Amino acid sequence: MYDFDWSSIPGALPFLWEGMKISLEITLVAVIVGILWGTLLALMRLSGISPLAYFAAGYVNLFRSIPLVMVLLWFFLIVPQFMQAVLGLAPTADTRLVSAMMGFALFESAYYAEIIRAGIQSVPKGQVAAAYALGMTYGQAMRLVVLPQAFRNMLPLLLTQAIILFQDTSLVYVSALADFFGAAYKVGDRDGRLVELLLFAGAVYFVLCYGASYAVKRLQRRVSA
Amino acid sequence: MISIRRVSKFYGDFQVLADCSTEVKKGEVVVICGPSGSGKSTLIKCVNGLEPFQSGEIVVDDVSVGGPKTDLPKLRSRVGMVFQHFELFPHMTIAENLIIAQTRVLGRRPNEAMDKGLKLLERVGLTAHAEKYPGELSGGQQQRVAIARALSMNPICMLFDERTSALDPEMINEVLEVMVKLAQEGMTMMVVTHEMEFARKVARRVVFMDEGRIVEDARTEEFFGAPRSERAQQFLSKILHH
Repeated sequence: MYDFDWSSIPGALPFLWEGMKISLEITLVAVIVGILWGTLLALMRLSGISPLAYFAAGYVNLFRSIPLVMVLLWFFLIVPQFMQAVLGLAPTADTRLVSAMMGFALFESAYYAEIIRAGIQSVPKGQVAAAYALGMTYGQAMRLVVLPQAFRNMLPLLLTQAIILFQDTSLVYVSALADFFGAAYKVGDRDGRLVELLLFAGAVYFVLCYGASYAVKRLQRRVSA
Repeated sequence: MISIRRVSKFYGDFQVLADCSTEVKKGEVVVICGPSGSGKSTLIKCVNGLEPFQSGEIVVDDVSVGGPKTDLPKLRSRVGMVFQHFELFPHMTIAENLIIAQTRVLGRRPNEAMDKGLKLLERVGLTAHAEKYPGELSGGQQQRVAIARALSMNPICMLFDERTSALDPEMINEVLEVMVKLAQEGMTMMVVTHEMEFARKVARRVVFMDEGRIVEDARTEEFFGAPRSERAQQFLSKILHH
């Protein structure tokens, strides 16, 4: 029988909290950029202007057909070179966090674009006609009439996607970036207590994500009521 | 004010409007009726450019609707439209529904727009509902708000795509009352409706459509007294003895 020894966790909590902050930072940036860029992609795809629509469709299909781990690896390899060249950073500068944020943001945009596209299409066509009939331009009709309703309809989906995204941030372990999962792994490895630390990390992810999902469900009930 | 000349429209091979011509003078009320699928709604949606058409010309207040240089948003801001399903904005209160286009499209100041909105709300008898959301109102109330919203833009004419059959009789009356008053005040109106009482009361002319064509375009008394076409006679006997 395996002898559990949880004693290395209390002392490691500050380090684990630092990791959690990185996980949350990546999630936050990726959600915000993902929704903004995803909205633009969705509008392009629905614009009826062929080059824009093809570009957006290509972008979405590309990112949805590639494993996230690979996208992250690419960004860990490409972004440092890019930032050295453009910003004149030293080759030793640590750009892993920025790389991770960019990778997640661009990858998640593809998923958000599809959610938002469905959200926009869920708003009845008559609403757009009514906005036009009042003299609104396309931009005004979208901004004032369609998108507010679309976001309201799809808020639960957007939040659920954010929860999935938060779980996926653990994939940054490929760059040895110490997010929450990475930090737990490091502590466990150091103390020879990998099993305990991974069980603990799993429990934390479960509590946070299950709690958040529950909150989303309640919100959904309120929105649809 | 509104002149429709030989307008035809196709969805692919299917012709929805065939060579339609009619005229609405300033202050005139014209009712458009006909069986469903006859193209009535499509015709009035062509008037403010919501539906494109392939041939012919529509001129509203000396502006050609399909013209290449026409500023459609500007033209539309001067033409009021009330939709079949009202299309109030459900995420805004009634007051916001009445204000949004005034401030964003016409550039009126918020308090000026609010004054105007509340005045119109009073006129359609819904002052108490300013802070409610459209979903909290009955169909007839929503339609009156939709009329107020269109009037908030000080339109030069009004288009009604009205299928009052969606409303119960009591509500039809409250809506028609507002529309009759509007007509008596001299508003130029094109009204798609099955309410023949309304047509009799306020319409100068009745346009009868069938299968995308204007079959009959007659003065109201003539239309009800002795419709020339057989289709119009059938339609009238059906709808009046209903």
